[in-house]
Amino acid sequence: MKVKTEQFTHVAEQELKNVRTRALLDYISSIIDARREEAMSSFSDPAAALAYGRAIRAEAIMRMPELLEEFEKKAAAHGAVVLWARDSKEANDIVLRLAKERGIRYVTKGKSMVTEEIGLNDVLKANGIEVFEADLGEFIAQLLERPPFHIVGPAINIPVDEICKIFLERGIMREPTTDPVALGAAARAFLRDKFHHLQMGITGVNMAVAETGTIINVENEGNIRFAKSSPRTQVSLMTLEKVVPTMNDAMHLLRLLCRNCTAQKISAYVSMDSGPKKADEIDGPEELFIIVIDNGRSRFYGDIQAREALRCIRCGACMYGCPVYMKIGGYPYGWAYSGPMGQVLNPLLLGLDKTQDLYRACTLCGKCKEICPSGIDHPKMFLSYRAKDVEGDEIYKGKRRSWKESAAVELLTWGIRRAWRWNLGAKATRPAINRYADDGKLKNIKGTFEGWFRSRDFPSMAERTFHERMDGRDSSETNHCRSEEEPTGKQCK
Amino acid sequence: MGTNTTTRDEILGRLRDASRGELPKRPALPPLVELSWSREHLIEKFIENLVEQTAVVHRCKDYVTAADTLTEIATLHRLHKVLASTDGIIETLNLRAWAEKAGVNLFFARDFSDRDSYKDFVFDGAEAGITGVDYAIAESGTLCIVHDKNQPRLVSLAPITHIAVVPVERIYPVYEQVIENVFGKDRPPHSHVTFITGPSMTADIQGVPFKGMHGPKRLIVILVG
Repeated sequence: MKVKTEQFTHVAEQELKNVRTRALLDYISSIIDARREEAMSSFSDPAAALAYGRAIRAEAIMRMPELLEEFEKKAAAHGAVVLWARDSKEANDIVLRLAKERGIRYVTKGKSMVTEEIGLNDVLKANGIEVFEADLGEFIAQLLERPPFHIVGPAINIPVDEICKIFLERGIMREPTTDPVALGAAARAFLRDKFHHLQMGITGVNMAVAETGTIINVENEGNIRFAKSSPRTQVSLMTLEKVVPTMNDAMHLLRLLCRNCTAQKISAYVSMDSGPKKADEIDGPEELFIIVIDNGRSRFYGDIQAREALRCIRCGACMYGCPVYMKIGGYPYGWAYSGPMGQVLNPLLLGLDKTQDLYRACTLCGKCKEICPSGIDHPKMFLSYRAKDVEGDEIYKGKRRSWKESAAVELLTWGIRRAWRWNLGAKATRPAINRYADDGKLKNIKGTFEGWFRSRDFPSMAERTFHERMDGRDSSETNHCRSEEEPTGKQCK
Repeated sequence: MGTNTTTRDEILGRLRDASRGELPKRPALPPLVELSWSREHLIEKFIENLVEQTAVVHRCKDYVTAADTLTEIATLHRLHKVLASTDGIIETLNLRAWAEKAGVNLFFARDFSDRDSYKDFVFDGAEAGITGVDYAIAESGTLCIVHDKNQPRLVSLAPITHIAVVPVERIYPVYEQVIENVFGKDRPPHSHVTFITGPSMTADIQGVPFKGMHGPKRLIVILVG
């Protein structure tokens, strides 16, 4: 999929005008906290459960190389073929080669964020292999050629009339309807035929268990189970950070994932594969390929702070918790991952230069950090990205500021350290700065600080500083206030 | 296909070269209160959690009454063609005899000469799939099926109705015990294990939840004992 992270502000402005999306997000906003908290309260000690889950993720990331090796060894011993890919191209090439070698004409795909990340659909399609997204939300998003609105509900924002229209256009149903259940039934009937004759199923992976070499998928619809049951070939794609130490760890994370994701104790289906089917089994894949994708992660793994981003288990709780996401929705983030988790991950994967607005579109309220079951400190990471960007960090492709802005900030830093420098500076620059004042506010200063004013303003500089006012005070006045200094005409009592 | 060892070594090498940092200490495992539940309470919670997911649960004292219940279900849902697994529970239930009495056409995976004809039937012919389960889990009302030649994957997935037969003694409090039984040391690996908690569902259109998205619309559980 195309990366559109640089259009953040433009798309956000448009989305803010989308009345239907705003209404949906406002509705979700009004219920989501209570639902998640109710789900978490089914733990006998929710705080302890959260702390334990975070500790598992911290340990999994720290032990990643050894856990991946153990996972690979165990999975291979069960007959799975584990393949590694440095980047999107290598991963897509592997899937394409597997499909071509088997004469595959179409595949179904379970909802998988990593396949969005690597743009697998486009590559398969360009090579004549049809891809059917089989998760209902992804299916709709694919037909409309939209990016996912939310990692869990990719098309939750699409109005029913729009779904009806595209379903009629594409021959998915014949009679118009705006009933969500009837629309779902039409998609079921259409995709059922695809599942029936499926030769190769593609899935993501929620967790890869090192201890047993098992991959685990969590879903509600059953499309992933079909992809693991009907075809002769199963291809499951995972990124490095999906590995967890033990099955018991996976079970604890499963509890946290479902409660935070959909406020369920557990999703309708959890499927676990340790190798392909046995020879005497009538269904299930005869061959199981697990593709382990790096795509830039090992490059920042050495940075102990940056690697925290890899803790994420993709529950999506941070999105519905974020005051910015809940106003603008998922499209402005411009890629597979949106909301706070996307703001943490995208800059590391795409570079700070291409994601400028992402780590700045944050009020630092800390809600995402508070609820994150993986223990990611999002605000701290945003601050570090901002610093790295300004400093022009080479590894993360920081943009660095213009020499004029850097010089101005240096001068300011020097100036504010001594009172006389500050007073002199304030006096000297006041007329120049106040030229831009509009109704007592600075809304834009041409040149050096232009970007700063895009989403902020600043009071214009007062004609007299506080000390000047204090020093020049008329001692006969007892009320500490002089009426002629009140430009608004407010009178002292 | 050869394994791509260079890529693998390069990626793992970079990860290994990174400074590891100090391994954080894990806090105490949160207590699993379910472990102290009495047997009857386990059964109650199991039923409560499953019913919450719209599953229909019938409790029968033995396999004879379970077969009668199955007949009632077949009548209610007008089942004429069903596909069943051949696991131990289904064998105990003696489904062949039941099907003859109830006038239902019963099929097993072994009745099909190949994978394709089996798939044709499970997708287009079977009106219900009947399976036993290997374990059940009270904490969330979950059925656990360990798939093998007697427990094919599609029987509990493709037909619109899934009927699961669960002996009460197979109900365990939490996932961890089931995991120990299935994946514990020295156990042969099972290619596929499924947790099922209610019918297939979605809420992907405007957050409106409904059942039967791709898998069964109805999950009926017959508890025996």
